[in-house]
Amino acid sequence: MTTPRGRVGVALAAAFSLTILPACTPSGDGGDEEGGGELTWAIGGAEANPGGIHQRIAELWSEQNPDTPITIEVLPEEADQQREQQALELQAEGSGFDVLGVDVIWTGEYSENEWLESLEDVRGDIEEAVLPGPLESATWGGELWAAPYNSNAGFLYYRTDLVDEPPTTWEELCEVATRVGEEEGIGGLVAQGARYEGFVVNWLEYYWSDGGELFNEDQTAVEFDTETATEVTEWLRQAQEDGCLAPGFNTAREEEARNEFQSGNAVFMRNWPYAYGLIQDDDQSPVREDFDIAPLPTFSGEGTISALGGFNNGVSAFSDNKEAAKEFVVWAATNEEVQKMLATEASVPPVAASVYEDQELADDPVMSLLGEVLPDARPRPPAPSWNEISVEMQRALFPAYNGEAEPQQASQQVADFLQSTIE
Amino acid sequence: MTEVSEETSTSPAPAPGRSRGRRRGSGLSEVALARVFVTPAILLMALVALFPVVYAAVLSMQDYTRRTHQGFAGFDNYVQALGDGRFWDSLVFTFVFTVTSVAFEFVIGLGFALLMNQAFRGRGITRAAILVPWVIPTVIAAQMWFFMFNVTPGFINTVFGLGNFNWLGQGGWAAFAVVFADVWKTSPFVALLLLAGLQTIPGELYESARVDGASMFQRFWLVTLPLLKPAILVALLFRTVEALRVYDLPQVMTGGAFGTESLSILVQQYVVQTPDPGYGAALSTLTFILVLGVGMIFVKMLGKELVLGGEQ
Repeated sequence: MTTPRGRVGVALAAAFSLTILPACTPSGDGGDEEGGGELTWAIGGAEANPGGIHQRIAELWSEQNPDTPITIEVLPEEADQQREQQALELQAEGSGFDVLGVDVIWTGEYSENEWLESLEDVRGDIEEAVLPGPLESATWGGELWAAPYNSNAGFLYYRTDLVDEPPTTWEELCEVATRVGEEEGIGGLVAQGARYEGFVVNWLEYYWSDGGELFNEDQTAVEFDTETATEVTEWLRQAQEDGCLAPGFNTAREEEARNEFQSGNAVFMRNWPYAYGLIQDDDQSPVREDFDIAPLPTFSGEGTISALGGFNNGVSAFSDNKEAAKEFVVWAATNEEVQKMLATEASVPPVAASVYEDQELADDPVMSLLGEVLPDARPRPPAPSWNEISVEMQRALFPAYNGEAEPQQASQQVADFLQSTIE
Repeated sequence: MTEVSEETSTSPAPAPGRSRGRRRGSGLSEVALARVFVTPAILLMALVALFPVVYAAVLSMQDYTRRTHQGFAGFDNYVQALGDGRFWDSLVFTFVFTVTSVAFEFVIGLGFALLMNQAFRGRGITRAAILVPWVIPTVIAAQMWFFMFNVTPGFINTVFGLGNFNWLGQGGWAAFAVVFADVWKTSPFVALLLLAGLQTIPGELYESARVDGASMFQRFWLVTLPLLKPAILVALLFRTVEALRVYDLPQVMTGGAFGTESLSILVQQYVVQTPDPGYGAALSTLTFILVLGVGMIFVKMLGKELVLGGEQ
């Protein structure tokens, strides 16, 4: 064996191993071979863990449908990582997941990738039970791709011992936050101001409540108003300079905001409904008896606007058990018992209209406020390019409100990027 | 494998009579045998190390956005990357991070190593205490330092009475916090490598230096440092290459805000988050070339050092 031949041999061996590698990649097989009609539900977050509400709902289904029992494949806590886990399986066309917990902003991406079964044939059942906002978030290109499961919306939390009436405009909120914060020696407003998706959600709530739009209705044209965007960003920048925003606003996510408010260090907080129960149950919290929730303010003082969150259940296009999976997602969306469990056994906002009309829940402050807020809650556009748009908005608008870039330029940057996504 | 063991057993003990077999055995043995033995390792390396690199390079020449493949793109992704302000911003941060963190880690690590090399009461406990940060997983250390620096709960501000100083929420200080956490985390690693080097220096050299009247500083400068040079180069090589790939610390502590976006964060954003695998692969290939280049400079210096050391 001569040296060059040896090299060729090694190279060949390497090349060989490279070509066979893709063929060796396991194409994600679920438990279908063994179990017949078993279903797997890929969903994440705290409630997917043992004891969580998703688990209890899965158990309820399995009891009622012993032929097609469902088990949860617990995905990570963070939405981005959940999406990545699902994407890995779906890109390999694996049948490991039958039901997918799809965040309201993934609908477009998933449907364009042909990862979801269309639910047009069961649209009637879902439409008559479910609120319009969540239904819109499960729709892309005029077609229904998932059955809404749970919803989410932003609340304004305020200190009843420091503020008599919740403010109705953002200017008023800042005026009160600065004054009371100074008097009490605490921060004004805490929210989600760190550079991540949550900041985009918060910024959109300011922007929408000042009359701004991103796209037209069928998302074929950009309607981004750079003037409004600049105005809103400059307001936020000013609010930070004036001390309306609590210290650490620009590094806070949901939990940092909740901790700050819960320990009595802020006058106002923008957060999701989940924080309500946690603050109330905290014996150590100085504010547990002294806070209340209200709709988010707007710039005009009229009505309220909140960004819509939540999850829809989709049927995987690669599932071996599509019929049963479809039955499950419709059941989870429309069954009153299931939807009520979400509200009563966990602070997860349901999507079924009937739960919000339920007399038993009329006294529940979270449910009644949700009933008020959700009809005006707006989904972020569930476009396939939403993640790119969100990253671009974070990069442009975050430095702008922190005084490291010009709001006018940042708004123009967002406008140009939005235009590039529909071309 | 059985064939191989047959040959190895025949070659050292010349079989009587069958000369053809013996010639074949001795002809194959040295070089060919080495190749046979090395092949599985090379294949394994090719599979786990070479394949991803080659795959990324192939991917970087594709127009591949949002998981839809749109064909061959040539060098478009590279042209886009080199014209992208974000690439240069993250390159600058990555370099600043690497230079400052490695410099501090080296100085502190050397101090620790010299300390740990002394014989004194409580040396075991000192060694253990110095190594604790290295044992903590980086993500956990990063989360811990996030809590320490962040306004809420704000341990550092409380301890030093700094009020609401926003370490992680303004330019400059955010980068400082990330470098600080990395120095805390990785100085023990440098110390460990240097300590191993220190222990190979024979005691007689110090004795004769002392006899020749060398001061403590001279002993350090003229005996310790030159003999420690290979260990220092190895430590710097490891640290520099790792610092150039930094992802976890800035990701957890700042999310890349306020000019703390490293190259790897940018790569992750395009490969995983948006996803734009073609462009992301181009960025990761550029990062690879950069790390490879820096690594090769070190290896060259190290090779020279070893050869020179051998000649002396």
